[in-house]
Order: sequence, then structure tokens, then C-alpha cells
Amino acid sequence: MTINLEQIFPAARPWVENLVNVWPTPYVKPRFAFWEVGHVLSLIMLAGATIVMNLRLIGVGLTQERPSEILRNLRGIQTAGLVGIVLTGLLIGMANAERLYDSTAFIVKMLALFGGVILTYGASRPAAAAEGRISTAAKAWFALGMAFWLAALVVFTTNGLAPGLLHVITAAALLVLFVTRGRSRIVYAGVLAILLLAQELAIHLIYPGDLTRLDPINFGFGIIFAAWIVGTALLQLSRADRVDEGGPLTKIVGYATILVWVTGAAGGRWIAFA
Amino acid sequence: MEQLLTWLQHGLGKGAGDTAQSWSETLLGSLHFWSLLEGTHLLTLMLFVGTILVVDLRLLGVIFRRTRVSLVSEAILPLTMFGFAFMVITGLTLVFAKPLFYYHNIWFRLKMLLLVLALVNVWVFHSHIQKSQGAWDAEPVPPGKVRAAAALSLLSWIAVIACGRFIAYDWFACGKPQSTFINAVEACKASEEGAYSLQGKRLN
Repeated sequence: MTINLEQIFPAARPWVENLVNVWPTPYVKPRFAFWEVGHVLSLIMLAGATIVMNLRLIGVGLTQERPSEILRNLRGIQTAGLVGIVLTGLLIGMANAERLYDSTAFIVKMLALFGGVILTYGASRPAAAAEGRISTAAKAWFALGMAFWLAALVVFTTNGLAPGLLHVITAAALLVLFVTRGRSRIVYAGVLAILLLAQELAIHLIYPGDLTRLDPINFGFGIIFAAWIVGTALLQLSRADRVDEGGPLTKIVGYATILVWVTGAAGGRWIAFA
Repeated sequence: MEQLLTWLQHGLGKGAGDTAQSWSETLLGSLHFWSLLEGTHLLTLMLFVGTILVVDLRLLGVIFRRTRVSLVSEAILPLTMFGFAFMVITGLTLVFAKPLFYYHNIWFRLKMLLLVLALVNVWVFHSHIQKSQGAWDAEPVPPGKVRAAAALSLLSWIAVIACGRFIAYDWFACGKPQSTFINAVEACKASEEGAYSLQGKRLN
């Protein structure tokens, strides 16, 4: 299955092809690398603020400060990062429009961007402002943001992009590893290591060089990894042994808001690979 | 160095037969692994520099002015260290895939220089400046030397990122007509592509 803008807006191709001649693209294209650096720096601002703020909602990290205080300090950086990625992204996109028009990874990135904006501004920030309490409106925004994120993940499994999902799975695995403590952490990491070993054995010893089985094996293990990570995270949600404002839903908002931006960044990188 | 890198790229792990590949060539030609490494390098960079940004802005007195510096750094620096470790591992593996290309790339050389500068700054901060942290830990705006170290940290990491991005561009690639300075800095004469003057004359 392939999804790209060419299929959604087939009549737009002449307009897309002409974007390279429209201001400011002729100015942007020769300085493409500098705008890319601006894009990465904006991503970094967004990432730093999002990670610290949402880890606090999960109940780890800067736990000696209230979520609202963390929001007050980081919201400017987060918004500046978001504005930066959108502005530099538009300029980079105009200079590279035809490639994005035909790219499935770009759809992943856009779905994750919408999901990220909705989860951040509709659920995560309101939850932080209310010291972890999730209002009815925040729940509605959370549901909408999750729908966009899940759509991004589904599209990520199509058109040869599925290996890029490993970025999201790895980030989720490390996030849960950071959140778990004591014996739970050891068991969790141990099972992850066993699963990794089993995957390597299946690929290199049981079916060596069999490319027809490579994708099904990796896909199957991807599902097992995801199930183990989500299962462990859900178990953690039921335990309130740390500084926990809000309930399990607050933590889910924290997890989802970090991972939706990881999905967007991974999708963006895979535009170049797929 | 050239011989060592040539062996790393073309010799190490190479089996018998004409079609056999070295480990470096296998990595570069892998179906997805190289792409995954590159993507992971970028994601860990976001974690590493993103968390450094928060700590440095506290040291500059821009954010978390009512929070002790030690609280911010103790909560966030484990993430920074973790991101750095992953970034180094993925970075070294990426270099292993194309050691000769990176060795003769001016942006990679500059990146390594700036990386050393950034790490020296970290060392100076922890071995000298941080010794007096008790005196300014709760200060909304820490003293000038602390802010200077934080500013240098931010600037050096931004420069490292910019150089890292520029590596992909062939503006100064060996084999293209370059100034004497660029040819010398990139050691182009020793490269496979060779060194060419601005007039297009081969120099080796």
C-alpha cells in the first residue's frame, strides 16, 4: 500500500512542480543546508522542552517542581521550537516539493506533526497547567491527537517504511526503561535482551540469507516488542509509588506526547531513505 | 592514517573471493541498518542537546530561576549522559561505514575539533567552576563565569550540529578544484580523489 500527496491531490502536480520557482524558494535552495540546520536546532528546542515537561507528567525527572512551574519555564522554548520547525520546514519543503509530493514518509511526518501539536497544546500543556488533572476538553483533544498519531504509525508500516518504526519502538523501550525502577527494570530489560537475541537468532541462524522471511520476522518481532513495552508501561501506570500528580491518563498523555514527536522526527528522516 | 582507514574500510572482516565485502562495506550497503543508525544518531542528538539546552539556559539564568541549579542538573543530566553515549556509539558506527570519506571531509574535521572544545568546556565546568556551586546554586542568575561556560557550551554544540549537517554537502570535496588551504586541511593529496588547484590542475 502506498499513500502520498500525489494520490490525495493528483491535480496539484503542476502547482507542486512550479513551487521551486516561487519566492522565496529561489533564495532558499542555494542555502538549503543552512535551513536544514535551523530545522534541526528547532527540533532540538522542541525535544528538550517536550521531554522534560512530559517526563514530569509521567512522574519522573524534575519531580521536585510542580508540573505548572515546569510548563511556565519551558512553554516559550517549546513554542519557539515548534514555530521554528514549521517555518524552516515550509521553506525546505518548497525547495524540495516534488520529492515530498511523492513521499509516504512525508505523510507520516505530517500526521505526527498534527498529532503532536494537538497532544501538546490540547492535552499535555493543559494537564501540566492543572498539576496533572485532565479536563474533559483535554480528554477530547487527547483522543483526537491519538487518532492522528495512530494513523501516522499505521502509514509508517506501509511502502517499505516499516524499519523506520524501530525508532519509535526503541524510544518507547528506553522511555519505559527510564521510568521503571528496581526489580521491574531488571526483568523488563532482561526480556528485551532475550527478545533481541531471539530476533538475531531467527534472522542469522535459523533463516540465514532468506530475504523472503526477513520482513515477516522483523514485523513479528516488532509487534512482540511493542506488546512487551506497552504492557510494562501499563503495569507501571497502575503503580503510584512516586511523585504522581494526576492519574494513569496523565502519564499516558506524557508518554504519547514524547513519542508522537519521535514519530514525526523519524518520519522526517525517512523521507531521505525511502 | 590513510593506510589504517583504507584497511578499516576495505580490508577488515573481508572474506575470500572477489565479491566478498569488508564489515565496513557490508554496513554501508546494508538494507536498512545504516539508515536506522543515521536516524538514531539524529534522535539521540535531539535528546542530548535538547536536555543540555534546558540545563544551560538555567545556568544562564533564563529559565527555572526559582529552582536550584543542582535540582535541574541532577534531574536532567542522566538523560543527557544517556543521549551522549548513544550518540557516540551511533556516530562511531557511521564513521566506520565510510572512514575515508569522513577523514578527508573538512566539516567532519571541524566537527571533531569543536567536539573536543565542547568536551574541554564540560571538563572545565565540572573540575573548576562547579566547585563553588554552593555559593550560586540558588541564585536566579549565576555568576559571569558560569554563564560564560553555559554560553560556550550552547554555541559549541550548535556549531557541532551545523558541521555535522554540512558533512553531507560536497562543497569542499577532494577531487574538486579547491584552494591550497582546503586541499591541505582535508589532506586531499592522500585521498583517492586527489587534490586539484582552483585552476583544475592535479597537485599529486
